[in-house]
Amino acid sequence: MGVINDDVSRRKFLSSAFMAVGLGFGLGAFGLRFLQFLSPKVKEKRFEEILVGTVNELSKSDAMPMEIAGSKLLLLKTDAGLVAFSRKCTDLGCLVSWDKARQQFICPCHQGVYDRNGKNIAGPPPRPLDRFQIVTKGENIYVRLKA
Amino acid sequence: MEATIEKISEKSIKDKIIDFIQEEVPDHMNSFFYCMGATPLVLFMVAAATGVLMTFYYIPYSEKAYASVKAINSEIYLGWFIRGLHKVSVNLMIFTLFLHILRVFITRAYKAPGELKWLIGIGLFFTTLAMGFTGYSLVYDQVSYWGMTVVMNMAEEMPLFGPPLAYLLRGGADVSEITLLRLYDLHTKLLPMLLILLIGGHIIAVRVLGFAKMEEAEGKHLFYPEHAMKVGLIAVGLLIVMVNLVMIFPPTIGQMANPAEVASNVAPPWYFSAVYKWITIAPRQPALFGILIFSAVFAFYPYIDRFLTQRGFTMGRINMAIGASAILTFAILTLWNIIL
Repeated sequence: MGVINDDVSRRKFLSSAFMAVGLGFGLGAFGLRFLQFLSPKVKEKRFEEILVGTVNELSKSDAMPMEIAGSKLLLLKTDAGLVAFSRKCTDLGCLVSWDKARQQFICPCHQGVYDRNGKNIAGPPPRPLDRFQIVTKGENIYVRLKA
Repeated sequence: MEATIEKISEKSIKDKIIDFIQEEVPDHMNSFFYCMGATPLVLFMVAAATGVLMTFYYIPYSEKAYASVKAINSEIYLGWFIRGLHKVSVNLMIFTLFLHILRVFITRAYKAPGELKWLIGIGLFFTTLAMGFTGYSLVYDQVSYWGMTVVMNMAEEMPLFGPPLAYLLRGGADVSEITLLRLYDLHTKLLPMLLILLIGGHIIAVRVLGFAKMEEAEGKHLFYPEHAMKVGLIAVGLLIVMVNLVMIFPPTIGQMANPAEVASNVAPPWYFSAVYKWITIAPRQPALFGILIFSAVFAFYPYIDRFLTQRGFTMGRINMAIGASAILTFAILTLWNIIL
């Protein structure tokens, strides 16, 4: 009798295990689809060269903040010529601003400081400011960024 | 004659409810120090009621959110009062949660068989903080916008689950109008549901596992009416305090969110000040891992306590020292953040 009882419980165990695995797969598939629903599609972005001004215009001012296709950048004359810095702080993504008097970039969120060449000199930022490539064609200056 | 006996044995609904909630409460719960669990519950009820009221006017869309909060604050009849009550109740709720956790920690009330109470409580604590964060993000002023940005980037820095979590929260690679809608959904639907489930679980755990036992033997009193009245008294007292606080400190609203410029005075509310200061002064990766490790130790402290007790440490004293230094660190970081 004990053997038969054992068989019954084994069958019971197998059937509930089967059910559990099926239920797990079903709910898992649902959960996965739900998560996919919540993740919006990433729009493919390509590098584009965007005209920001002429050499004459840009040589007039010291620092020029601008926003192009969602990228916030700042054109600045550095020791190595004109550079397009990303204004996104390399620490936690706040916006840096150019402090003309101190000749430094300041991030007000966590007191990050960068020098005029974008090098991180104080506070939490782990690396220098990101840069966008600058292309000069004749008189025109273009910035190469993903748009 | 028979009918009368039946009537006597049949209980009224009121008696049935009282029987259901009835329980013997140890006498140490007479002290306010041990009643700090019901306090955040009362405050949560106020926050929930005023929160539901505000959803009738709030517009979770980036271009209109700020204006709608402003309208609640200054145009809608008693809007400032409802928003003020919401803010005050949340701030007091987090404050009393801190006190409640501190009391449980120092008296080691999480000891076996009470570990589950502690674990659910930790879940409640972190969910409440998440409610705080999502809540002040909805105002869509400068603190909201840059707070969102910073917190999402912090989430992204976490190992493994960080980047997908940040992506899900933001609804994309950057903070956008989808982000605001997601935070709104979290703040008004998902997190409150989770909070209510956890509160229910916490109370059931306390009922099933029993109240923490104090070292010395003591008397007991009934939950109803003695203890229930005491909680009612606390609730009335809290209401008076809250209304006064709203009158003295009516709710304010910062500058509107400006994605093109960070204001120089963006700082989170007081309960995040210590963490904010910590990530400002410590190098990035160690700072974030410090927070993660601290949270893990905090969450599983009952097991650490048991492990150390078995090896002969007097945890009562150790906890007192840890608790005191935790308060001191929190106070120093917070004050430092306010002064500098």
